[in-house]
Amino acid sequence: MMTPNERMTSRLGLWLWRFWAMTLKELIQLGRDGLLVFAIAYLFLFDTYMAGNVGMNLNNAVVVVHDADQSAASRELIYRFQPPYFKQGGEVADVRTGQRLLDTGGALVVLDIPPRFEHDLLTGRPTAVQVQVDAANTVLGFLAASYSSQIIGQYGFDQALARLGQSASALENVPIVQSEHRVWYNPNQKDAWFMPLSELLVVITIMSIMLPAAAAVREKERGTIEQLLVTPLSSLQILLPKVVAMTLVILLGTAASLGLVLHGAFDFPMKGSLTLFFTVTALYAFTTAGLGLYIATIARNLAQAALLAILVLMPMIFLSGAWTPPEAMPAGLRQAMYLSPLYHFIEMGYGILLKGAGLEVLWDSLLGLTLLGAGIFGFGVHRFRRQFG
Amino acid sequence: MNLRRILAVSYKEWREIVRDRLFLSLAFVVPSALMLIFGYGLTLDVEHIPFAVVDHDKSAASRDYLHRYIDSRYFDYRGELASEREIEPLLADSRIRLAIVIPPRFGERLAQGRAVAVQTLIDGTFPFRTSSSQGYVVAINAAYNTEQLSRYIAARLGVPPATAQAMAQPVTVEMRYMFNQAIRSTWSIASVLVMFVLMITPPFLTALGVVREKENGSIYNIYASTVTRGEFLIGKLTPYVGISLLNFLILWLFATRLFGAPFKGDPLFFALASTVFVVCTTGIGLLVSLLVRTQVAAMMLTVVVTIVPSVLYSGLLVPIASMDPMGQFEAHLFPAMYYADIVLGSFLKGVGLDVLWGKVLALAIYAFVLWTASFLLFNKRPKA
Repeated sequence: MMTPNERMTSRLGLWLWRFWAMTLKELIQLGRDGLLVFAIAYLFLFDTYMAGNVGMNLNNAVVVVHDADQSAASRELIYRFQPPYFKQGGEVADVRTGQRLLDTGGALVVLDIPPRFEHDLLTGRPTAVQVQVDAANTVLGFLAASYSSQIIGQYGFDQALARLGQSASALENVPIVQSEHRVWYNPNQKDAWFMPLSELLVVITIMSIMLPAAAAVREKERGTIEQLLVTPLSSLQILLPKVVAMTLVILLGTAASLGLVLHGAFDFPMKGSLTLFFTVTALYAFTTAGLGLYIATIARNLAQAALLAILVLMPMIFLSGAWTPPEAMPAGLRQAMYLSPLYHFIEMGYGILLKGAGLEVLWDSLLGLTLLGAGIFGFGVHRFRRQFG
Repeated sequence: MNLRRILAVSYKEWREIVRDRLFLSLAFVVPSALMLIFGYGLTLDVEHIPFAVVDHDKSAASRDYLHRYIDSRYFDYRGELASEREIEPLLADSRIRLAIVIPPRFGERLAQGRAVAVQTLIDGTFPFRTSSSQGYVVAINAAYNTEQLSRYIAARLGVPPATAQAMAQPVTVEMRYMFNQAIRSTWSIASVLVMFVLMITPPFLTALGVVREKENGSIYNIYASTVTRGEFLIGKLTPYVGISLLNFLILWLFATRLFGAPFKGDPLFFALASTVFVVCTTGIGLLVSLLVRTQVAAMMLTVVVTIVPSVLYSGLLVPIASMDPMGQFEAHLFPAMYYADIVLGSFLKGVGLDVLWGKVLALAIYAFVLWTASFLLFNKRPKA
């Protein structure tokens, strides 16, 4: 005869044993699917690596010049369009050729210097330089316009000072404001310190919804869920191991990506606590899986599950600030961002790893993530148990 | 090739799609939903950047200078801080993205006719936001300096203010934005979104098609039938190409009617080029479906080949011209980039086949390779 105490421990032991067996089953099932493992590894390693080569900065944009003046002054202005932002694309004989180059994508900026440019400068008559920018791609167009006006503005400013008999070294004696910029956390504005991490956090989101959803729907579609339901396993013992197994896979992938890609390839500064980061990642992956479980209750087959996952994932990623800065969101949607768990996760990811912030600063994001996550997970589990309880 | 057998396979596939009500509705709901969400929300006009100031001077001059930032629609004023030490926690918590520090004796130095340095601290997490904010700061500062300089010239040379103004700004810039006059992101983005959605949804519709029959075992009906492999593949995919073309039409209407994107190109050319693209993207799903053994793997592999490249390597957010050689190489591997050029050319630039023939050819070759590879991979006599 067992004492009640012993019965308790053996029941807990049995629970844990069954739990572990199911988790192991999920992991083995995943491991045997070679192409699935390849896809997961690709997303965690290669994809984050490729994202590091992608940047939203203006880089060697081709500038074509129509120089109607052909003077020293016009050449000096042209000369100021330099790498890294710009690249000289040569001269064109007339403006129409320049516009054709804009059409075909052969140039991004056409600089049109009027005749008598130098003459006007020397005689103190105002003159205007025309800049045509291909704004079809808004990012490039905006940056190219902004940098060109900076260059031309600075050129005009220097000319004005020169006419006053002031050289650049005597700037001290003119009442102007020199704007000095210090960029924190990413001083050289390397896109390689932004894109790979944001890509990694997106990949974690995709995995934590799709993998548990697929694992559950697969059993439904093939009918093996019936086999599980007639075993002594409770519905929690069926669904939790799926989530735990996928969370373990995600944590492993995250560790590999951080170590090999972010640290290894891009020298990403890991300023904050890695323990905190992995704890948050585990919490995020685990709770977001609730959405996957919910999808699994709606879908009858994997084709439906895949489309439902896209329908859930895209707005969630989009409203997170992973692809566009939150400051670029229209006013109404900026409030909706707080509902995307990924928004809080990204704040914490960059806060911990790049800014070196700890819980004393990030507690509100953690609170948001926990509350949202608990709600989502509770909802998913509730639906799942109602269907299979 | 026997047309009757192709039609029979297509009809069987079509019945299956229609009977799966949820799948059928999702096949139309997902593209439209993506178009609406992204169309309304995806802008790159960075505005309302939250910032704080540290004013060690507290003079009329410093307040005048700072008000140029506070009154700008690009910045959102979040208050004044007592010292630089308070900046760091606010930046770390993303409560502000930028801080301006005015040194002591700011107004005094300017009044004495001497230059003064103002420091701006910027959160560098998101480089695109950083360069945009920097651009705004430089522009506001330059406008202030031009005023200062013209006042200085007027005082020193004793010329009237208008002359001084002209002398302070001898060169003006006439900026002209081609193809997108108001530099409205909505225009260019609504058109590129047609590409984005057509890149993502068709592969997801088709990727599970063949592998599902394999997993369920219904593929043996095909193996045992007189249908050849070419007939099977064409018949199987025709309904999905049809659905995607219908979606293309819906997306085009959204872009032009709802988002008001101008369509300057030739509709017939655009429709034909889009058909080639849809054949291409359904072909991606088909190839994935034939490569994998399980539906789960098909799902994840489709994520790999669609979502990621269509966001990163199509020019939707990131211009391909500004990528590293490695990124450009990867961009050329996916069809999204070629079609993005066709979309932008047709919508905003009004160019046609004479300029874009190369891109259409690339898509056609892409489609041909995908379909040939699928044909070779599919075998009616499976090993083991």
